[in-house]
Amino acid sequence: MKLIVGVSDMKVSSDPEAVLITYSLGSCIGIAVYDAVAKVGGLLHFMLPDSNLDRDKASRKPFMFADTGIPSLFKSAYQLGAKKQRMRVIVTGGSQVLDQQGFFNIGKRNDMAVRKIFHKNNVIMDYRDVGGNVNRTVKVMVNNGDISVKVSGQGEKVI
Amino acid sequence: MSDIESILKDIDRLKPIPQVANKILSIIQNPDSAMADLSDIIVHDVAVTANLLKVANSAYFGLPRKFESAHQAIVFLGMDQVVDLVLMTSSSDNLKTAQEGYDLDAGELWRYSVSSALIARELAERKAVGDAHLVFTAALLKDIGKVVLSQYVADSFEKINTLVTDQGYTFREAEKEVIGIDHSELGGLVAKAWQFSPVMVEIIRNHHVPQEATMGQTETYIVYLADTLCMMMGIGVGSDGLAYRFHKDAVKFLDLTERDFQEIMSSFGEKLQEVEDLMQNA
Repeated sequence: MKLIVGVSDMKVSSDPEAVLITYSLGSCIGIAVYDAVAKVGGLLHFMLPDSNLDRDKASRKPFMFADTGIPSLFKSAYQLGAKKQRMRVIVTGGSQVLDQQGFFNIGKRNDMAVRKIFHKNNVIMDYRDVGGNVNRTVKVMVNNGDISVKVSGQGEKVI
Repeated sequence: MSDIESILKDIDRLKPIPQVANKILSIIQNPDSAMADLSDIIVHDVAVTANLLKVANSAYFGLPRKFESAHQAIVFLGMDQVVDLVLMTSSSDNLKTAQEGYDLDAGELWRYSVSSALIARELAERKAVGDAHLVFTAALLKDIGKVVLSQYVADSFEKINTLVTDQGYTFREAEKEVIGIDHSELGGLVAKAWQFSPVMVEIIRNHHVPQEATMGQTETYIVYLADTLCMMMGIGVGSDGLAYRFHKDAVKFLDLTERDFQEIMSSFGEKLQEVEDLMQNA
């Protein structure tokens, strides 16, 4: 059963039939988590680094921002029995337009926000495929924990 | 026949844009024309009315009562909005199809086009510059060249992608280098063949290099930025990814801050569901 995670969206599942998938990450970032013991998977697709942009919007759409979406992803996975020390954590997306450098570079800001939050909470990334100017799709198979990243035009690989 | 010749011939294979769209475009670009002329066209064309009511009654507008006539929609939504909706329903045929060369499934280029058009309009309104109808329509149709070029991109994808990944080309520059013409240049030729105004042709042709537009420069910058924002949000983006250049002068020209960028992304991101409903009905 395919569970589509939209833009500014998050889903967790312990249903072995479930496949979590998020399409087309540009400067947005996708964070996939999986606990092989509890057999719980989760996937977040956030768009912007900081909910201070608009607190009201963040309360309506917590998965839009890194600082409100990431804690929700982890808490929701814990509620299904996942444990932080057992979780694989995969971070991908954060692309940028060519020559963007520091200017309006939301992909880079998103990446920095993730690193800051992970550092503060002692979360270690198992795999990171961030930046460049490609468009990525991420998939989490809840039954076996396979997490794959597909770069548009270049094919898919299991991490 | 060379590749370019056969590509140009392929322009004729596009489904022609309905006459009514051309009529509306020429009226809105003529300062002497009257609102009543537009109203007449819309109200008296059965197909236009049917399509208009479908989109006007979509969840995007979230209205409690359904419109039953074009006249009601015009009174309630305003002529500006109705014109955009009519132009949108007139352009959907070609843009809804899958584009193999760009790794876009059916509906994805359409999602990209509608999203760009809505964001372009928002930028024009936010900054109170540019002709809002012009930016809406140009943003909607800017990638029409991809529909013609898709097959040729598919045939040469490896070569194009190598130039992008190994040599720092943009996807558009690589198309030009490998195929001899790129999708924006080709889009300009389609716009010309469809007898769009010279300024519309110019915007579509230069939507990746707005500084090169010789007219409609404000509108070209707006369409360029709307395109960039859509790419960043990953809405309907394909194998060309984000491999286009960021032109700092565009944000300077429109006096935009990064906060403006983030606000536009977040407000658009909040209504994605409604946008989806709008494009499904168009």
